[in-house]
Amino acid sequence: MRKIVLVAQREYLANVRTKGFWFGILFFPVLLSAFIVVPMLLERTKGARQYAVVDRSGWLLEAADRAIAGGDMWEALGTSIERYRSEPEEFVQLPMVVQDVTPLLAELEPSQVGVFARAVVAEDWSGEGTGLPPEALRTLADYGPALHEWWSTLPPGIAGDMFSDVSANYYLRVDVADTSQAALNRLVSEGAIFAYFVIGEDPLTGSAGSKYVSNNLTDNDLRRWFGRRASQAVQARRMTLEEIDPQVARWIQEPITWEQLKLSDTGEEQQIEERDTMRQWAPVAFVYLLWISVWAVSQMLMTNTVEEKSNRVIEVLLSSVSSMELLAGKILGIATTGLTLVGSWLLVFFLGTKYIPQMLGAPPSLDLSALASDPILIGSFLAYFILGYLLYAAVLVSIGSVCNTVSDAQNMMPAVMLVLIIPLMAMMPIGQDPNGGLAKILSFIPPFTPFVMMNRAAGPPQLWEYVATTLLLIVSILVAWWAGAKVFRIGILLTGKPPKVREILRWVRAPVGAVPERKES
Amino acid sequence: MEHALTLDGITKRFGDVVAVNDVSLRVPQGCIYGFLGPNGAGKTTTIRIIMSIFYPDAGQISVLGSPNPEAVKDRLGYLPEEKGLYKKMKTGELVAYFGKLKGLPGGVATERAESLLVEFGLGDWIDKKTEALSKGMGQKVQILSTLIHEPELVILDEPFAGLDPVNVQVVRDMILEMKRQGRTVIFSTHVMEQAEQICDYIFLINKGHKVLDGTLAEARASGDKAVVIDYEGDGSILRRLPGVRHVSDAGKTAEIFLAEGTNPQDILAQLVGKLQIRRFDMREPSLHEVFIRAVGGDNDA
Repeated sequence: MRKIVLVAQREYLANVRTKGFWFGILFFPVLLSAFIVVPMLLERTKGARQYAVVDRSGWLLEAADRAIAGGDMWEALGTSIERYRSEPEEFVQLPMVVQDVTPLLAELEPSQVGVFARAVVAEDWSGEGTGLPPEALRTLADYGPALHEWWSTLPPGIAGDMFSDVSANYYLRVDVADTSQAALNRLVSEGAIFAYFVIGEDPLTGSAGSKYVSNNLTDNDLRRWFGRRASQAVQARRMTLEEIDPQVARWIQEPITWEQLKLSDTGEEQQIEERDTMRQWAPVAFVYLLWISVWAVSQMLMTNTVEEKSNRVIEVLLSSVSSMELLAGKILGIATTGLTLVGSWLLVFFLGTKYIPQMLGAPPSLDLSALASDPILIGSFLAYFILGYLLYAAVLVSIGSVCNTVSDAQNMMPAVMLVLIIPLMAMMPIGQDPNGGLAKILSFIPPFTPFVMMNRAAGPPQLWEYVATTLLLIVSILVAWWAGAKVFRIGILLTGKPPKVREILRWVRAPVGAVPERKES
Repeated sequence: MEHALTLDGITKRFGDVVAVNDVSLRVPQGCIYGFLGPNGAGKTTTIRIIMSIFYPDAGQISVLGSPNPEAVKDRLGYLPEEKGLYKKMKTGELVAYFGKLKGLPGGVATERAESLLVEFGLGDWIDKKTEALSKGMGQKVQILSTLIHEPELVILDEPFAGLDPVNVQVVRDMILEMKRQGRTVIFSTHVMEQAEQICDYIFLINKGHKVLDGTLAEARASGDKAVVIDYEGDGSILRRLPGVRHVSDAGKTAEIFLAEGTNPQDILAQLVGKLQIRRFDMREPSLHEVFIRAVGGDNDA
C-alpha cells in the first residue's frame, strides 16, 4: 500500500507540474467568464447605432418618434416600479416627480403602464378612450404634465444613464443637413451613420418608396426596431381614418397567453421560473464538461504509461513494485489529478457565479449559483466523473501499455473516439427528452452510462434506473480492469511492434500461468 | 546463509518458446558473478525471474535465503538492460524516489540521494531535470538509483553498454567498491574482456540452457590450452601451419589451438621470418574463446 501511495504521489506531482494541467485548470474559468463577462462587456462597449431618416410623407417620422418616446417612457416607468419594489437605494435617486408617481402606478398591469406612458407622451391628460381605470386617469391628470415636462427636457445621454434599457442607449437618430441620396450613401459608406431610412410619400396606401440602406447585412435589429414603431404609427393612423376605436382594435388583436406551469414532486401545479429552464439545460453543459474531463484525464494515464515504457523506466520500477502496485498507483495518482482539476472547476463555478457579476456591478446570477450548489447536478458530475474515468482509464491504460510511442497510441484513438462521440451526438435529443426511449436505452450501455445519466439529471431518472445503471457500470468497470490488468502486466514489458487485437484478446483469455503471469506464493 | 542466490531447475516458457530451460545456479555471497551469453540466450529472463518480475513455470528459487523473491525485493538492487529516467524529474528527486520505493523513509532517501550524487561528481545536477544529463551521467544516476538503499544483492544488466572508456572505468570501480562493501553483484554482459577483468565467477547460458558455471579459472580450464601471439603481417598463414587444430585470429592477436602432440616451439620456428612476432605466450584460452566455442563453436572448428 505504501508503494501504491508513493507511485500515486509521484504521478500527481509530475502531472500537476505540467503546463497542460494548468491550461486545464484555467480552461473552465475562461469558458465561464466568456459566458458571463463577455456579453456584459460587449453590451457596455457597443455604442448607440446612429441612423438618419428621410421622411417624404411629412408625418410618419414624427409619429414614429412619438411611439419611440412612448416606449422609452414605458421602459423608464417600468424600471422605476421595479426599483420601488426591490431596490429602494436606487429608487430614492430618481427625480421627485418619478418618485411621486411610481407608487400610484405600481398597482397597474404592465400593459396599462404602457398605455399610461403613451398618453403622457401624446399630452393626452384626459386619457379618454384609453381604457385605464379611474385611479390611473386621476394620476394621469395630476402628474401627466409634470412627467411630460421632465421627460421632454431630459437629454438622451442622461436618460440612458438613468435607465439602461431606453432606446437612446441602442439607437440614436441624427439630423443630416443634406438629405440627398448621394450624401446619405456617402455617410453610410464612410461609417458616419449605421443606416438610413427613407419613408415613402404615402405610407398609408403601401410600402412604395420606403427603404432601409445599410452596409451591415447581419445586424437587423435597427431595421426591425424602427420598422415596428413606424408600422404601429401607420396602423394607428389608419384606425383613426376608418374611425375604429383603438381599444376595440387592441381587443380584436389580443392573443391568448398560455400560463406555463409544471408539476412539483407532490403533483401540484407550479409556476415555471427561469431557473427551471436553466435546470433543464444545465445538464447538457455538465455532460460536455464531464466528457472533456473524462477524456482528458484518462488520456493522461495512457500517455504516462507510454512514456514510462518509451523512457525505459518501467523495468526499474518493476524491480521495486509489482505491476499491480504500479497500475493501482497510477490510477490513483491520475484520479487525484483529475479530481483536483474538476474540483477547481466546480469551486470556480460556485464562487464565480456568486461573486464575479457583483464585482462587475451586475446583480449576482442567482440562477447560476443555485445550479452550482444543486446536489443532483454536482453529485452526479463527481460520481460520473470517477466512474467514467475508471472505465475509460482501463481501456486507455491497456492501449498505452502495449504501445511503445505516443504516436502508436494516438493511432488507436479513433476507435475509442468513435464510441465516445455517440453520447455527444445524443446530448441535445436527450436534453429535450431526458426520460425518453433513446435516453433510457443509452443509459444501459455502460460506455455511455456516465454521460447519458448526467444528461438525464434534468429528468431526473427514477431511483431504480440510477441503481441498475450504476450496478451495470460498476460490473463493466470490474471486467474492464480484470482484462486491463492482464494486458497491462504483459504489455508493459513488451517491446517492438504493438500486438494485434487478436493477440491482446488471447492474453485476456489465457489462463493464469500460460502467459507471463505471477502466481502468488 | 551461504548463498545470495540459488536457482534449482528453473524453467520459464513464453507460449511455445522455452526462454529458460532447467537452469540451476548457486551464487555465493560477496562475489562478482558474470552472466554471459549471446543476445536472446535467456539472461534477461533469468534476471527478471530473480527480480520477481516473472514467476518461473517450474523450479525452486531462493534469493537472500527467501523462497519468495518478492518478499526481499527491497534488499535487491536492479539495473535493467533497458534503462531510463523520468525526463521531467529533477535528478535528486528521482534518485530519492527510487530509494523511497525500496522502503527508505523520505528524509533519509533525500539525504542519501544528495550525498551519493555529490560523491560521484553530479552535485551540480541535483536540482536539474534528468533530460539535461549526458548519456554517461544518466547511466551513473541510474546505477546510483539502484544502490541508494544499500542492497545486499545487486543485479546489473549490461551496465557497460554504450559507455565511453572513462565511464566504463567509473562503473567498474563502482562494481568493485560494492564487492569491497560485501555486496553480491551479478552482472550480465557479452563483452568478455570486461567479464574477465572483474568476475570471480561466470555463468554461461545459451538458448535457455546453462552451458557452464564456476570460477573464472574453471571456465577457462574447460577449454584447451592455447598459444597466444601478437604479430604484424598476413595472418592467413597461421591456418596453414601443420599441427594446428584451430585458429582464433583477431588481426593483430591470434589464439592458436594445437593438435595433440604438437610442440609449440615448432610453431614458433615456422613463424619466424614469415610474421613479425612481438609476443609468444602459452596459456589458458580466453573467455572469448570459451564463449565462442560454447555458443557457436561448431561452425568455427
